[in-house]
Amino acid sequence: MSLKYIEEYRDALLARGLVKKIHLVSKKNLRLMEVCGTHTTSIFRHGIRSVLPEGITLLSGPGCPVCVTAQRDMDAFVAFARVKNVIVTTFGDLMRVPGSRSTLAREKASGADVRIVYSISDALAIARENKAKEVVFCAVGFETTIPTIAAGILMGIKEKLDNFSIYSAHKLTPPALAALMETEGVSIDGFILPGHVSVITGTRAYQDTFEKYDIPSVIAGFEPVDILTAILRLIQQNEAGAPALENAYARAVSDAGNEKAKQIMNQVFEICDATWRGIGQIPSSGMQLKQAFKKFDAAIKFGMDMPDVPEPKGCACGEILMGLKTPYDCALYKTKCTPMTPVGPCMVSSEGSCAAFYRYS
Amino acid sequence: MTEEKILLDHGSGGKVSHALFSDMILPLFENPELSKQDDGATLDIDGTKLAFSTDSYVVDPIFFPGGNIGDLAVNGTINDIAMCGAIPRFISVGLIIEEGLPVKTLKTILESMARAAQKAGVRIVTGDTKVVPQGKADKIFINTSGIGVIPPHTDVSGCNAVPGDKIIVSGTIADHGIAVLSSREGLQFDSNIQTDSAPLNKMVQSLVQSDCDVHVLRDPTRGGLGTTLNEIAAQSRVGMKIDELSLPIRGAVRGTCELLGFDPLYIANEGKLIAFVPERDAQKALEIIQQDEFGKEAMIIGDVTREDPGSVFLHTAIGGVRIIDMLTGDQLPRIC
Ligand code: SF4
Repeated sequence: MSLKYIEEYRDALLARGLVKKIHLVSKKNLRLMEVCGTHTTSIFRHGIRSVLPEGITLLSGPGCPVCVTAQRDMDAFVAFARVKNVIVTTFGDLMRVPGSRSTLAREKASGADVRIVYSISDALAIARENKAKEVVFCAVGFETTIPTIAAGILMGIKEKLDNFSIYSAHKLTPPALAALMETEGVSIDGFILPGHVSVITGTRAYQDTFEKYDIPSVIAGFEPVDILTAILRLIQQNEAGAPALENAYARAVSDAGNEKAKQIMNQVFEICDATWRGIGQIPSSGMQLKQAFKKFDAAIKFGMDMPDVPEPKGCACGEILMGLKTPYDCALYKTKCTPMTPVGPCMVSSEGSCAAFYRYS
Repeated sequence: MTEEKILLDHGSGGKVSHALFSDMILPLFENPELSKQDDGATLDIDGTKLAFSTDSYVVDPIFFPGGNIGDLAVNGTINDIAMCGAIPRFISVGLIIEEGLPVKTLKTILESMARAAQKAGVRIVTGDTKVVPQGKADKIFINTSGIGVIPPHTDVSGCNAVPGDKIIVSGTIADHGIAVLSSREGLQFDSNIQTDSAPLNKMVQSLVQSDCDVHVLRDPTRGGLGTTLNEIAAQSRVGMKIDELSLPIRGAVRGTCELLGFDPLYIANEGKLIAFVPERDAQKALEIIQQDEFGKEAMIIGDVTREDPGSVFLHTAIGGVRIIDMLTGDQLPRIC
């Protein structure tokens, strides 16, 4: 047997051991929320829900960047694609998200120049090679992505790339958690906190929310063993009535986080209010370009001021992101709304909970 | 069709491609051969059974670790014919070349096509060359078609899976897709992962000429293993149970997939087959595949079940169960 297989079997055994332990300690019915979309995908891919005790419900939170992108921001991306001489650069997941009237994929089929990139450096490279055109980058994402975008902007300045700009729909995680706790009807017994985001923010970023709401919170990595460990600890905290903020991903996450990344992020961006799809405005939960960097703001450059628009009728993405509903509660699920004909972004993104339910259950 | 225009999704090999085929293409061309929806058509001409197949290649970039669009195009059609249980014999080649392609590049591609054909023992017997103005195609597109002879008493089809069959995969999955991706502009990463593009006709020949009762052969190309298993589950109206721990996946491929958020089950292969054989023949079939130069890492990965016809379930390493659906949406465009 190769080393790789031995490792995999060892992890599998470890995971199965954790599952046993979870069944032993779990008594109360609990609703635990995985905040991050990557966790959602991992939970479905490894069949984690299917091994948990019946009383443990996992809720998928507002941590899939595409899913929380407001309708007006999607409309803005589509609008940029329609401007002559503009190349829109985007992460692949955004291509099929329905805006009010169109999607980037449809615009591309109609002749717009929309290109999928894997990072902002791809977008910068496109700008370098297409000096006669304008390159707009659709910036969505959380604390994990924002520092890389900031670094991209600094690079753009250094290279005097005047034909490059971004539309920032960035979001911050801790304010969203606080907003969730304030929302009427929301009942959550514990947070599985995101791994990648916490690498940047550090454990300390959640201290205020934790103290204010006294809610069990555990930072987790993405392997099944990581996630099961976090679930076990959340159950233990609940059973013992002793909420704590724990870091179960210490191999990657420190108390303070990545200072350098935070510094670059704060050099280029400043905190602003932001609209979350389905949730609405959350104060201080977004990031916009600072005054000194406004010339990289695509909305200003193209005078794009999109009106606030209602979300598609019947789509329950927002309530699902808050753990108030599951995709099964949405009348459109699997009828009008499928990954081929998505109504809401939760059905498009590979990290969206409706897509995950559709694919894996 | 709900869309007014063709989107890239329509070519992904996943659900949207299937909808295009069954909603638009099949009803217009309806006939018994096409309706079987196998990799190639099985034809009966005055008692001689032939397999006939065609495929177009638009991979980007045209050179990638371990191969190029030329050998990919030859091996691809050879494999499609072989998956009908046939021995591939003759191939045609259609070239669509963009004005400005360096002659040296074309020569390299043609040379590797010649080598691939020779290695597989097939002859390229007819062809066509077109050149289009710059920008009207991307460097070079290649179509290959081919025919092969089906030995008597061979009946291999995606419709033939029955409960109790064992499912064998001939080696590690997802290598091709990741190899192509690793050489994409803007995404260069060091991975040492090479395409698995290879002719599988000799492996198939050994299998069908043995006394193993081979029910289904399929090469999980576009859409990956997950999509192919679903196709067969639907064609044969059976369920399937796959064991995650037996799925052969290279560490580097798994790592890259994790990093980029891809599921290796949906990533293309170009030199792998899956075989469905009754349990009594499974061990023998596995050994035959493992004796082939391209089958050394073959594994039995699961069973065909009576329950849940049309659905494929994965029994995960941690002891959980989840569904494997067809690919929805395009993970990686233009990989073949
Ligand atoms: S199933 Fe579709 S419409 Fe319903 S909540 Fe999910 S994304 Fe929205």
